[in-house]
Amino acid sequence: MSATTLTLRRFNAVDVILWLLRIGVLLIVVIGTLATLIKARYTIAQWLDFVMFGLTIGSIYAQIALGYTMVYGVLRLINFAHGDIVMTGAFAGYFAAAGFDRSGLLESRPVLAMAGILLVAVLTSTCIAVLTERIAYRPFRRVQGLAPLICAIGVSFFLEQTFRGLFGSSVKSYPDPSWLRAAFVVFGFRIPRVDVLVIGLALVFMALLYMVVQRTRMGTAMRAVAEDAEAAALMGIDVNRVIVFTFMLGGVMAGIAGVFYAFLYKQVYFFMGFTPGIKAFGAAVLGGIGSIPGAMLGGFFLGMVESVGPTLFLDGIGIPAPYQLRDLIAFTLLIMVLIFRPQGILGERMARKRA
Amino acid sequence: MALLEIDDIHVFYDKIEALKGVSMSVEEGRIVTLVGGNGAGKSTTLRAVSGLLHPRQGAIRYAGETLGQYGAHEIAAMGLVQVPEGRRIFGRLTVNENLEMGAFTQKNRQQIAEDRERMLTLFPRLRERLRQVAGTLSGGEQQMVATARAMMARPRALLMDEPSMGLSPMMVEQVFETIRTINAQGVTVLLVEQNALLALSIADTGYVMESGRIVLSGSGPELLDDERVRRAYLG
Repeated sequence: MSATTLTLRRFNAVDVILWLLRIGVLLIVVIGTLATLIKARYTIAQWLDFVMFGLTIGSIYAQIALGYTMVYGVLRLINFAHGDIVMTGAFAGYFAAAGFDRSGLLESRPVLAMAGILLVAVLTSTCIAVLTERIAYRPFRRVQGLAPLICAIGVSFFLEQTFRGLFGSSVKSYPDPSWLRAAFVVFGFRIPRVDVLVIGLALVFMALLYMVVQRTRMGTAMRAVAEDAEAAALMGIDVNRVIVFTFMLGGVMAGIAGVFYAFLYKQVYFFMGFTPGIKAFGAAVLGGIGSIPGAMLGGFFLGMVESVGPTLFLDGIGIPAPYQLRDLIAFTLLIMVLIFRPQGILGERMARKRA
Repeated sequence: MALLEIDDIHVFYDKIEALKGVSMSVEEGRIVTLVGGNGAGKSTTLRAVSGLLHPRQGAIRYAGETLGQYGAHEIAAMGLVQVPEGRRIFGRLTVNENLEMGAFTQKNRQQIAEDRERMLTLFPRLRERLRQVAGTLSGGEQQMVATARAMMARPRALLMDEPSMGLSPMMVEQVFETIRTINAQGVTVLLVEQNALLALSIADTGYVMESGRIVLSGSGPELLDDERVRRAYLG
């Protein structure tokens, strides 16, 4: 008798709520998906649009998430200002793009113009990323507790308000060259050029980054520092240099992502880094923070879920205009991950650190 | 003059004085050991030498230079390399990458390749495991990786912190054999050990440490015969 009470006791209220949550979400997803598919209100072309957009925005999230995950890897710091670093890249790219647009270069020499825009954006975001590390984060290196995180939030506000002060709070529209507006037609389906450009270049840059991290001496040193900074220092590795290198890599990816994000949504403003920043951070957690493949995977996964998810899960249940609920879907996914798999998809438990 | 001179260092963890005036000297080409019980301050001494901790008082001199202002990575680059306690290999990196990281301060590609070859001859087991992730190796193999990694930095003096910890008696034997081999190649060794019997038996000079102070020093055989050492550490 007493044994049964004990076993029953183990299921406390929290467990019950968590199980209900799991079952509830699963039901919504399964029933919603089936209902949507049975109703068949969307054409294949429309689904393809969702998928393409998911991959596009996902590739941008993946690039931003890499910055979060690498900095977390070496410093155990969540760089809350990373989204705003993306914004600085987008802004710098905007000024370059606007200049090229006025001179006509953007229309006549797309490759050259695009390279110029990316270069300006990357240089700016990288410099700012490295400067924030040097000025704001390094003094907090040995400080325990929440202070470094608060500092990161402060840097985020500082960057936002500085750009607001310098360039105003209005939304500036990004130039929209005709070659980017066109679409490829494959088997009768329209695939927007901007999607192909963003996904293609993102894959190229992420592959390059992966090569740098896996194959170069500095990349290996970065992984070594992420694992055990003190042991790395004992081997003669200058940990500060590795940290600067890490912020540089993150800054480069942020600059590229900023330009792509701005081209996709055709606008820049001082607060634009916040939402993609938060989502990319979520993507990094989703993939397993600290893991580089995890950040890439998490980015694409989050992009897909928020693009395809609302229609697929919610339309069938009869929720009107489900597409507007994409942020809800995205953040629900993140909360679910945090509750049920806190270490992320590819993350490992913190326990097995030292053999 | 000794290669490494520790001159009356005092090290604090916050307000707790861990080292209360430690002095040692390590002659070039020798094996010097520092023995003592748990919490005596042996590892703290090595950490101070490597620049991971900074003494509040006293000085550490190496090859004619005072180490006070140098960071850990600079000290390693000067040829004073530590194999830390618990090995601390990079478990997610391959064995080969671990060796590469040991050679981080070396710039000559060809020389690095030669050094790696030398290490793989010294530890043939590692050759089969070069592409394997180091965290999956056995304790003994991990100790080999840790030692080989440190040797890749071309140390003039090797600091070893409890290399026998957690190893089987047979592996311990091998580790001490390796220390002797490395020393015979001209590398000075400063060995910290709890296993006083083994450590003193291969050491030229020994220091005995107790609660932050050196309480006894002498040649290896001398200390092995010392009544107080026998009673305290050898049973």
